[in-house]
Amino acid sequence: MASQRNKALYAKIADALENPDRSRALNRCMQRGRDNRSRAISALPDGLEFRNRVKAIKDRCTEQQESLLEKFVVTARERGAKVFLARDGAAAIDYVLELARARNAKSVAKSKSLTTEEIDINDPLLDAGLRVVETDLGELILQLAHERPYHLVFPSVHKMAADVAEIFAKETGQTIPPDIPSIMKVVRAYLRPIFLNADIGMTGANIGVAESGTIVIETNEGNGRLVSSIGDCHVCVMGVEKIVDTFEDALELVLAHPVSASGQLPTTYVTWMGGRSPLGAGEGKAPRESHIIILDNGRAAMRDDPGMREALNCIRCGACMNICPTYSVVGGHTFGYIYPGPIGIPWTAGVHGLEKAGDFAALCISCGLCKEICPAKIDMPMMIAEVKHRDACVHGHSRSEQTMMAADDFARLGSALAPFANRTLKNPLARKAMASILGVDERRNLPPFAKESFTRWFSRRTSRNEGAAHRVAFFVDVFANYNRPDLGVAVVDRLEALGCEVVLPEQKSSGYPYVAYGDLDRAREVAAYNVARFAPCAEQGCDIVAIEPTAAYCLRETYPKLLHHSRKSLLVSDHSYELFAYLNLREGGAAASDDRLRGKRFGFHVSCHQRPLGSGRDAQEWLRRRGADVTLIETGTCCGMGGTFGLKAGPLGYDLSKAAGESLCAMFLEAGVDAIVTESSVCAIQLREGTGLPVFHPLELVAGPPFE
Amino acid sequence: MHAPMNDSGHQDVVSAFAERYHALAGFAHVVQNPAEAGAKAGQILREAGATLAAMAGLPEDLVDPIVQGLAGAGIDCDSGPFPSVELPGRIDRASAGITGADFAIAQSGTLVEVATNDAVRLVSSLPRTHIGIVRARDIVPRFDDAAPRLREIFNAHGGGCTVSFISGPSRTGDIELKLTLGVHGPEIAHAIVIADGER
Ligand code: SF4
Ligand code: SF4
Repeated sequence: MASQRNKALYAKIADALENPDRSRALNRCMQRGRDNRSRAISALPDGLEFRNRVKAIKDRCTEQQESLLEKFVVTARERGAKVFLARDGAAAIDYVLELARARNAKSVAKSKSLTTEEIDINDPLLDAGLRVVETDLGELILQLAHERPYHLVFPSVHKMAADVAEIFAKETGQTIPPDIPSIMKVVRAYLRPIFLNADIGMTGANIGVAESGTIVIETNEGNGRLVSSIGDCHVCVMGVEKIVDTFEDALELVLAHPVSASGQLPTTYVTWMGGRSPLGAGEGKAPRESHIIILDNGRAAMRDDPGMREALNCIRCGACMNICPTYSVVGGHTFGYIYPGPIGIPWTAGVHGLEKAGDFAALCISCGLCKEICPAKIDMPMMIAEVKHRDACVHGHSRSEQTMMAADDFARLGSALAPFANRTLKNPLARKAMASILGVDERRNLPPFAKESFTRWFSRRTSRNEGAAHRVAFFVDVFANYNRPDLGVAVVDRLEALGCEVVLPEQKSSGYPYVAYGDLDRAREVAAYNVARFAPCAEQGCDIVAIEPTAAYCLRETYPKLLHHSRKSLLVSDHSYELFAYLNLREGGAAASDDRLRGKRFGFHVSCHQRPLGSGRDAQEWLRRRGADVTLIETGTCCGMGGTFGLKAGPLGYDLSKAAGESLCAMFLEAGVDAIVTESSVCAIQLREGTGLPVFHPLELVAGPPFE
Repeated sequence: MHAPMNDSGHQDVVSAFAERYHALAGFAHVVQNPAEAGAKAGQILREAGATLAAMAGLPEDLVDPIVQGLAGAGIDCDSGPFPSVELPGRIDRASAGITGADFAIAQSGTLVEVATNDAVRLVSSLPRTHIGIVRARDIVPRFDDAAPRLREIFNAHGGGCTVSFISGPSRTGDIELKLTLGVHGPEIAHAIVIADGER
C-alpha cells in the first residue's frame, strides 16, 4: 500500500533506527536545550509571560506587515543601505550574482543564515566562480560534509568531535587530534584569512527594526560581526516577516529567541546595523556598501492563508524541535526539507510547496508539545493537520491512517462482537491479517472489548440525584465506552457520591484522530456534532467532564479552533473539565486515605494533551490525598505513542513510536516504581509494553480489586 | 522581560553587572578612576601574555591614562588612526583589543559598543583578548532600558552606525554541545568599570 514517497520515508526511518547513536546524541542535545530553557525561564521574574508578549508583537507586526515593510525600506535607505525586494529565491540570487560581478568580487564569507539556505544561494555563487565559505562552525562542518542542517540552532549536532576532526583534516591536509581544543585551533586558523580577505560578507538577520532601518544579527561565535564589518560589501538576506516596528519589539525578541533556544539571555553578540560605516580612516579599496535583500518567496501567500499565517510568527529559536518526540529519533534530515522540525512542516509547505512538506508531515504524531514550548505560541499541530489535510486531498490517506480514523466504528463493532473480537485480538494469525488489512501492528496488545458498552449500561439505569445543584454532562470517548466501561461506571459512582447528577448527552468520540491524520472536514463535523449536543447542557449550567485527556483537550482547545471560535464552542470549552480537576473541585480537599494504596510506589505519566490543561497535577493530587506515594516521572517529551500513531503497523507507527518512548520507559524502570499511573488509555498500552510494569488508571487504584 | 530592580543605589547595579558578566565566563573589575583603569588593563594584558594592544572607540579623556597604564606594563599600544588601506591586517596583528562601551546592561552582563567606524568593531572582535571599558554611571539595570538608548543613538547617527551588544567571550557549542570559548572572536573577555563620577 505504501506509496513511493512513503517508501522513501520508511527507509529513512529504518536508517535512523539502525543508528541509535545519532538519535542519542540528538536526544542529549534536545534534553539540554529543554533543561537550559526551563532553568533560564524559572529565573525570569515573570516566567513564561514573555510568550504572550512575543505573540502579541508578532501578531501585530504580521497584521501591519505591508506598512512596516514600507517604513523599513524608507528608514534603511535613509541610512544609505540599498534595499531590494525579492519576489523569490531566483530574484535574490540574480541580484547577488550581479552585485558580485559589478564589484569584481572573488569571495563571499557567510554567517549562519537559514534564509540563504532556503533559497539555496551557495551553488549558483560557486558556479559563478566565487569562493563561498560558511563561517558559523556548525554550518561550516555541514558545508564541508555536504549536508543539510540537522537542527535549526545546532545544525551539526549529529557530528562527534572525531567526525569533525576528520572533516577538517581532509580539508586542510593536517593531522588533527579528535579533541575540541585542537579542532578549534585549526578552525580559527582556517577561517581567519577567509574573514580577512572576503570581498562580500553575507548574513541573514534575526530582526529588522522599521523605526530605524536597522537589522539585528544574533550570534554567539562572533562570526556575524567579522563578516559584517570586514568585506567592503555587506549583503543581508532577510525574510519579510522579520520586520518589527520598534526597538522595544526587537529587544523582547532578542531575549525570547535565545532563552527558548538554549537558555541564554541574550546571545553573546547582538549586532544592530544601521547602514554601512567606513572601515578606518581615508579611502579604502572599494566603496563600502550595505545591501538588504528582503525576501518574499511565498510569505505573502502564507500571510493571506488563514491556515498558514501563524507560521510567520516563528522567530527560529528551535525550541519546537527540542521537544518533538519523533524528530528526536529521526533528526532533521528526515524530519525536514530545508527547514527542519515541527515548524519545518508549515514553512516547507509555504516556501517549498505542499508536496515537499507532505513528504515528511506524517512524522508528526500530533502530540501538541511544540505548541506548548513555542515562544510565539504558534499552533503548529493545527497547521500541520492543515498540511496533512491538503496533502491527503491530493494523495489520499494510507490504509492504517484510515483505520485509526475509524477507530470509533471498529470499537463499536468490536464491542458488539466482543467474545469473537477478543479471540481475534489474541490470535496470532488474525493479528497478522489485521496488520496487513487494517494496518494495525501485530506486536501491539490491544485492550479487549467489553460485552456491554458504557452507553448501553447508562441507558438502562435510573439516574440518581435528579435536580441536584451540580449537573455533570459526561464525555466518555471510545476507551471507557467500549473497552473499559467499568471506568465509566466508576466515574458515575464518584460523581454521584459527591452529590452530582450525571447525564450522558448523545455524543461521538472525540474525533482527534481526524486532526492527527489530517481529515479536517470530518474533524469539523465531529466537533460541530459534539458541541451542538453539549452546548445546551452548558447553557443550562451543566459542567462537562471528560475522562480521557485527549477528549478534554478537544473540548477545551481543539473544538474552538476547528469551529473558528464559535460562541457555542467557547461555551463548551469554558464549562469543560478534566475528570480529576472536577473531582478535586467538588471534593474540596476532603478524602479518606485508602488502604489499598499503602506501601506501593507509583510513577505518574502525564499525557501530552494534558500539558495545557494542568499537566496531570489534579490526578496526582487526588491520589496523594488518598495516601498514595506518587512520583511524577517525565522526560519532558512524549511517551511516543502519539494517540493511535503507535498502533499503526511498521516504521511510521509502531517502530518509530517505540524508539521515541525508549528513554521514558527506561526512566520508569530506573525509578523502581511498583506500577505506573496514567489517565490516558493509549499511553497505558505503550508504557505497559515498554516497561513490563502494571499500568493503571487512577480510578482503578481505588475502585477496582486491590492492586497486588 | 523585567528583572527585579533593587533601588538601594547604583552600587547594586554595578555588582549585578559584574556578577552576570562573571557568569558568562567574562572577568569584571571595578576601579576608582581612569589611571587605575589603565593600570588594570596593563596588568590584565601582561598576565594574558599580550604584547600589542589595539585601541579604539574610547572617550578622549580615557585614552592617555590607558596608554600610560599599558606602557607601565611594557605593552605596546596602537591607538590609531587606522588608515583604511592597512585594515583589517593592522588590527589583526594585535593580541589584545581595548574599546570603550557607551553603556552596559546589568541584567544581561552586556557591554554596548557604538561604532560609526567599523575599525572599532574589529578591535573588539579580532584579537584573542578583549577589554571593554565602561563608566559605572552608564550601567543601566534592565535589558529593556536599552530601548530608549538605542533610539537615541540611532537618532544621533543618521548614516552608518552599528551598535554591538557584547556579553562575554565568543562561544560555540557546535561540537557535541560542549561550550568552547573563542572560536572566531575573543577567547578572553574583561570588563573594566570605572566608578568615578558616580551619581
Ligand atoms: S505535535 Fe508533537 S509530533 Fe507533531 S510536530 Fe509538534 S511536537 Fe512533533
Ligand atoms: S515555531 Fe516557535 S518554537 Fe519553533 S522555531 Fe519557531 S518560534 Fe521557535
